[in-house]
Amino acid sequence: MARVMAPRDSGAPGRVVPVLSTFVFVVVSVVPLHLPGFAAVSPSFALMAVYHWTVYRPDLLPQGAVFVLGLLLDLLTGTPYLGASALTFLIARTAVLMIRRHFVNRDFTVLWLGFLGVASAVFVFSWALVGMLSGHMLDARPVAFETALTVAAYPVGSTVLVRLHRAFLRG
Amino acid sequence: MRLSPPVRAAAQRLALPMLLFVSALLMILGKADIFVIDKTRTAVADALAPVMEAVAAPLAAVSAAVARVEDAVAVFRENANLREENARLLQWQEVARRLAAENASLRDLTKLVPDQSATSLSARIVGDSGGAFLRNVLVDAGARDGVVRGEAALTGEGLIGRVSEVGARTARILLLTDLNSHIPVMIERTSERALLDGDNSNRPRLAFLDAKTPIVAGDRVVTNGAGGVFPPGLPVGVVSGVENGIVRLEPYADLSRLDFVRLVDYGLGGLLPQSAIPPPRAPRAKGRAAVEAEK
Repeated sequence: MARVMAPRDSGAPGRVVPVLSTFVFVVVSVVPLHLPGFAAVSPSFALMAVYHWTVYRPDLLPQGAVFVLGLLLDLLTGTPYLGASALTFLIARTAVLMIRRHFVNRDFTVLWLGFLGVASAVFVFSWALVGMLSGHMLDARPVAFETALTVAAYPVGSTVLVRLHRAFLRG
Repeated sequence: MRLSPPVRAAAQRLALPMLLFVSALLMILGKADIFVIDKTRTAVADALAPVMEAVAAPLAAVSAAVARVEDAVAVFRENANLREENARLLQWQEVARRLAAENASLRDLTKLVPDQSATSLSARIVGDSGGAFLRNVLVDAGARDGVVRGEAALTGEGLIGRVSEVGARTARILLLTDLNSHIPVMIERTSERALLDGDNSNRPRLAFLDAKTPIVAGDRVVTNGAGGVFPPGLPVGVVSGVENGIVRLEPYADLSRLDFVRLVDYGLGGLLPQSAIPPPRAPRAKGRAAVEAEK
């Protein structure tokens, strides 16, 4: 999937697509999905967008934007731990930046496996962080379930992002 | 803003640690219940509610279509079930009418002051925290519709939680399964009091139960009215079982498939100062204190 060359942008309007699409994915993360057989936990679409753009176009999803979008997600979900997602996303972005060269121009399976690793690390980190902040040992099962769900839903999110990517950006 | 190259390089190098620091700082400030953060949260929810509704609409349409197909398949069996249920409910209706009449005459005899009348409004759910760490929902009714913090949120089946934040056009409901939810309840059969503590799982646990009285799976659990948060007697759920000494409750309402909720003002918020209504973030100690005070 998504053969990406060196960044060559079509024009200025397309450059807002990463930030805009991540914003939309943040909103979708908090919209009730009501899908039959779907539990209270829904996949973290926001993380998919952060991952995708950090792998392909980190220049168009700068850390400031990741911070603001993470903060927005925290405000929308009403978490008492405002800033937790911002922190997690920033760390995830930094980590992905270090390993992104292994994912660019590779098969989708590799990208997906990379996401599996990143999502697992992110959820384990959040689990520890929220557990520490709340002073409770949190049940790990919902976290494991959300990780699985997010990884399983990645092809859906990725398809949308790749389409947007191809339509608006050349690199 | 134009910066000289060395300044810009320094700024870039410092940006990440700065942002990480600000995030950590916000987490610590957020724990302290800062008013500005609450305000920002409700303002963001208010501002984005139309966007969320717009995104939710096509999703709701898809799920409605799927539900319709499911309904069509199940219609014959359901019809038979409904007939049966209808017959049973008619009997109950008769019983209820008789009891209502009896109740009225007894009230008349004892000159009992009637319960405060409750006002309610229905709201649609537009947002769902959806994560593994939170159990709350956002509804499309707020202060301008008369929603007040601390109100009970119910479905036809039973209690689902309470209003924890109110914006102008949205309100957040802290579900009874959330880690920060602590609701004074009692076992209806034994009138024994307990605190219903959410732990982010689908089945919240009953804490501070007196171990002497045996609890049986299937026992009905209702609110006990302690702390003035809810009126006594609202249906909450049934005891689902005891595992490793932890009693868990199965809520009557299906919290994973909420569409509309009823927000009910029992007029209790007015009786107590705002500070007496446990805020969503530090309710544990207060909830406990409320239970103790009742004893």
